[in-house]
Amino acid sequence: MLFVFMIVAGTVFGLLLSRSGAADYDYIQAMFLFENEQLYGILCVAVSVAALGFWLLKKSGRTVTGEPLNCRPKPSHPGNIYGGLLFGVGWSMTGMCPGPILVNIGEGKLYAICAFVGAIAGAYSFGALYPRLQRWLGLPAMEEGPGQG
Amino acid sequence: MPLLLDADIQPIHWAIAGAAMGVFVVSLQFLANRSFGISTGFETLCSLFSRQPYFQRERLKRRWRLPFFLGLILGGVLSAVMAGGIETSWALGRFDALIDQGRGFKAVWMLIGGFLVGFGTRLAGGCTSGHGIFGLANFEKASLVTVLCFMAAGVASTQLIYRVFAG
Repeated sequence: MLFVFMIVAGTVFGLLLSRSGAADYDYIQAMFLFENEQLYGILCVAVSVAALGFWLLKKSGRTVTGEPLNCRPKPSHPGNIYGGLLFGVGWSMTGMCPGPILVNIGEGKLYAICAFVGAIAGAYSFGALYPRLQRWLGLPAMEEGPGQG
Repeated sequence: MPLLLDADIQPIHWAIAGAAMGVFVVSLQFLANRSFGISTGFETLCSLFSRQPYFQRERLKRRWRLPFFLGLILGGVLSAVMAGGIETSWALGRFDALIDQGRGFKAVWMLIGGFLVGFGTRLAGGCTSGHGIFGLANFEKASLVTVLCFMAAGVASTQLIYRVFAG
């Protein structure tokens, strides 16, 4: 049930990314060059609508099935800065953040497969180096991790 | 072949696309009690083959991001089919106009960029979805810091590539 729900949810979000410009190399560059307001508009509206929705959700504190709401904030740590900077360069180079890498593969963009392989290698290297990075950078304990975002 | 969005296919208006994404993130929490965030899915994938302690953590036992990834690919397929059919392509818009170095160069460029995306998002604890949309809407300090950093680095990098080196 959850499996099917998540496939449908992914498809809906993938379509939104594909048709909004968020998965389009030229729109990403136009955003970083301040030539176009499309993606800034999307981010501002999405955050505003979601903030309003979460405010309402938190008032009841329950999901549709009556489960307690589970949306604890992610931990704050120096990795937010270093990781954010590295990711920004990667996003600029590829024109893709994580979701759009998969969407572009679906669209038939062959270079997105290279970005996907690179991203898996990057995530793997991070995980393998975690004990050392944790000491050097002061990251949260391994069980907690850097945040499930 | 051009990118998907061009003169023939205009993007969804930003207000509509943004509102839809906002509703989507809230619905995911309300219906499935999952906090939106895509980049952790790369760790879930690693947990399928790696025995590193980091990938064996209890937190990675929830694997909803795998079917979600599958859906993202399907969304791209559907979008291309509705635009007239899938054609495999190496076309990269402005990149091709600026840096015409062939496919090998592009493949290496994407591998390096992809590595930075994978390593960076995991070090930061999230990406444009988990920090950018969900985290900011959930008023998380970590998200505000991360978003400011990746936007600043993205602007600096693209300005360097397109305005300085190309200038």
